[in-house]
Amino acid sequence: MRRRLTRLGMGLAAVAAAATTLTACGTGGGTTGNGTGPITFASGKDLTGAMPQLLAEWNKLHPDQKVTFIELSASPDDQRNSFVQDLQARSGKYDVMWDDVVWTSEFAAHGWLEPLDKAQVGGPDVLPAAVDTATYQGKMYGAPFMTNSALLYYRSDLVPKPPTTWAELQADCAIAKAHDMACYVGQFAQYEGLTVNAAEAITSAGGSFLSPDGSKVTVDSPQARAGLQHLVDMFRSGNIPAAALTYQEQESANAFVTGKAMFLANWPYVYTAASAAGSAVQGKFGMAQLPGPNGPGIASLGGIDLGVSAFSKHKQTAKDFVAWMQSESSQRVLVKVMNQASVLTKLYTDPDLTKASPYLPTLQKAELTAVPRLKTPNYNAVSLAIQKNVYAALQGKVSVDGAVKQLAADLQQAISAA
Amino acid sequence: MSVRTGDSRAFVPRASTRRERASGRKENDGRFAFWLVVPAILVLTVVIGYPVIAALVRSLFSDPIASAPRFIGLDNYFSALWGVNSGKFWDSVGVTYFFAAVTIVLETAIGLGMALVMNQAFRGRGLLRGVVLVPWAVPTAVAAVLWKWSFDPVGIINALTGSHVVWTGSDWPSKAAIVIADTWKTSPFIALLILAGLQIIPGEVYEAAKIDGAGAFQRFRLITLPLVRPALLVAILFRLLDTLRMYDLPAILTHGANDTTTLSILVVQATLNELKPGFGGALSTLTFLLIFVTAYAFVRLLGVNAVEAQIGGGRGGKR
Repeated sequence: MRRRLTRLGMGLAAVAAAATTLTACGTGGGTTGNGTGPITFASGKDLTGAMPQLLAEWNKLHPDQKVTFIELSASPDDQRNSFVQDLQARSGKYDVMWDDVVWTSEFAAHGWLEPLDKAQVGGPDVLPAAVDTATYQGKMYGAPFMTNSALLYYRSDLVPKPPTTWAELQADCAIAKAHDMACYVGQFAQYEGLTVNAAEAITSAGGSFLSPDGSKVTVDSPQARAGLQHLVDMFRSGNIPAAALTYQEQESANAFVTGKAMFLANWPYVYTAASAAGSAVQGKFGMAQLPGPNGPGIASLGGIDLGVSAFSKHKQTAKDFVAWMQSESSQRVLVKVMNQASVLTKLYTDPDLTKASPYLPTLQKAELTAVPRLKTPNYNAVSLAIQKNVYAALQGKVSVDGAVKQLAADLQQAISAA
Repeated sequence: MSVRTGDSRAFVPRASTRRERASGRKENDGRFAFWLVVPAILVLTVVIGYPVIAALVRSLFSDPIASAPRFIGLDNYFSALWGVNSGKFWDSVGVTYFFAAVTIVLETAIGLGMALVMNQAFRGRGLLRGVVLVPWAVPTAVAAVLWKWSFDPVGIINALTGSHVVWTGSDWPSKAAIVIADTWKTSPFIALLILAGLQIIPGEVYEAAKIDGAGAFQRFRLITLPLVRPALLVAILFRLLDTLRMYDLPAILTHGANDTTTLSILVVQATLNELKPGFGGALSTLTFLLIFVTAYAFVRLLGVNAVEAQIGGGRGGKR
C-alpha cells in the first residue's frame, strides 16, 4: 500500500510537471511567424485611470495586435514579485513589463529581457540619464517610458527663497522651529526609499557606493562619510524629526501637505495632493532642486523602463508597442493626464504643458544632473545592505564611521555573491 | 459429548462464514475509503509535495545571475549555519524564538484568565464569548495594518498615553509593538481552546472539593489546572507552530527593520528580493527543521504525559 502510494505520488508529480510545461507552451496562442499578434502589458496600479484610454488608442491603430492591460499591485515590491515569478517560470504571461529603472540591469543579466533597438528607443530626444538606466553591458533592454527625480518642496510663505546648500537649509530650520513644525522630512524608514535618500546625500557630497561598472566597492571615502554625517546631524539636532524614521513616501508627503513640515524631499507627484483643495499648503509652496553641500545637490533618478519579455511569443509587436509608448503623442498623455514626467526632453519646455505643471523646468534641471541609482545585477542585496547600515547610523546605534566601514564590507559580500 | 461436537461442528462453519463476510466487508470498506481519500492525496501531492521537494532539490544548487544553477551540495546550508550568511541567520533565529517565547507566555496567561471568566455563569456570557473572538477573526494582515496606524508617531497609542515614542523606529519599541499586536490577536484563540477544556470538567468535582473544604485557589491548582492541561498543551503547541513561522505582523509593522527579521521574513527576502532561490530553499528547509525539532521536543517533554493521562483516565473508567 505504501509503495503504491509512493508510486502514485511520483506519477502525480510527473503529471503536474507535464501540465505546467504544457500550459507554459500553450499561452502563446496563435503565434505567427513574424512575431506579431496580441500582447499583454503589465504595469503597477494605474492611479490616474488614464492608462486604458492610452492603450485604446494603440488598439484602434492595430486591431490585429491588440494589447491587453494587466494591472498589478501599487507596491513596487509586489510588482517585482509578479514579474520574477513569471520570468523564472519562463511563461511569457507578461509580454511587456513596467520595470522600475533599478530592475532593468538585474532582469537583463538573468536573460529575461529582449534587447531593443537603440536607434528606436534611445535616440537623442530621450533624456540621457533615462537611456542610461535602460542600458546593460552596452545594449538597451528597456524603453525609457517615464522618469522621476526627487525635488525639494518648500513653504514659499515661510521661506522666501529655497535653500540651495545644506548650510542654508539648516539655517532656515530656525523658521520651522518658530512655527512649531518639523523642518525637513524625507523617506527614512528602512526600505527602498531610504536607499534613495541616502544616495542623494552621499552622491551630493561627492561620494559613491560602487564603481561605475559595479565591480568595486567605493563607499569607504571621506565624501561618503560627509554625506551620511549630514543626515545624522539633521536627526541629532531634531531638524529631521525622529518620527521620520518610520516615514515612507506617503507619510512624509502627509506631513508636508498637512502643514506639519516645512521642507519635504519627494517625487513630483506630491504636487497634485499639495495643490488640491483641502491641502493646508495650497498656494503656499514651491518646488526646487534638492540642496547639496555647495549648491544644488544630486537627485536620485527614478522612473519606469518598458521591458519586452524574452519569453514573449509576439516580440515584434511588443517592440513596436514600447516604441509607440515612448512616442510624443503617448508622452503628451503621460504628462498631461497622468501628471508623470516624460522621458522626452522637448516636452519640458512645451508651453501647453508647463502651464498645467509649472514645476517642469525645475524638474528638468534636477533630472539633467540626477544620477541613476546603482546599476548592478545584485541591486536588491546592495540596497538591503545600504538600508540596514544607514538606518543604524540615523538611529544613532552606530557611528558614521562604523556604519560606512560595515557598509563597505556588506557591499563587498553583496556584489561578490555567486 | 457427540452432541456437543456435532453442535460445535455445526457451529464452526457458520462462524467462519460470518467472519469471512465481515472481513470481506472490511476489505471493501478499506478500498472504498482509499478511493475516497485519493482526490485529497492527489491535491496534496501537487500543492504541497511537489513544491516541498522542488525547494529541497533547489537548495542544493547555486544562485548564479547569468548562468544555469550548478550543483553545490550542502554549501547553501553551510553558508547559513556558519558561513558568510550565518550572522543574519542566527540573528533571525534569536528574534523568532524571542517572539515565540514572549508571546506564548503572555497569551497563555491572558487566555487562561479569559477562559476562567467566560466559564462562569453570568448574564451576557454568550455575547462576551462572541465579542472576545473578534480579534481572532480579523485577518492578521488587516490587524497588522490597524496596529501600524495605532503605533504611528502621531497615532492613537501615543495620543492616549501622552508619550512620543517612535514605536516602529527603534529596536525594543518595535519588538514591544509586535508582541502587543500578536497577543491581542491570539489570546482569544487560546482562551477558546482552554474554555472547551474547562467545560468538560464536571461541576460535581468542584462541589465535592468545596465540601471537603478546598479553597478557591486549591480548587484551581488541584482540579482545574490538571484537568485542563491537555487542552492547554494543545493550545500552546498550536501557537508554538504559528509563532515560529511568524511573517505578516513584523513584515507589515516594521518590514523586518529594528531587529525584527523573523526566519520567514529572511526566507522571503532571500528568495524573492535577492533572487536566490537556492539559498532561500536552504533557509526554508532549516526553518522547517527547527520548527519540527522544537515541536517534537515539546510533545516529548510535555505532551506525552498529557496523552498518557487521557488514556489512563479512559482505562480507569473501564475498570
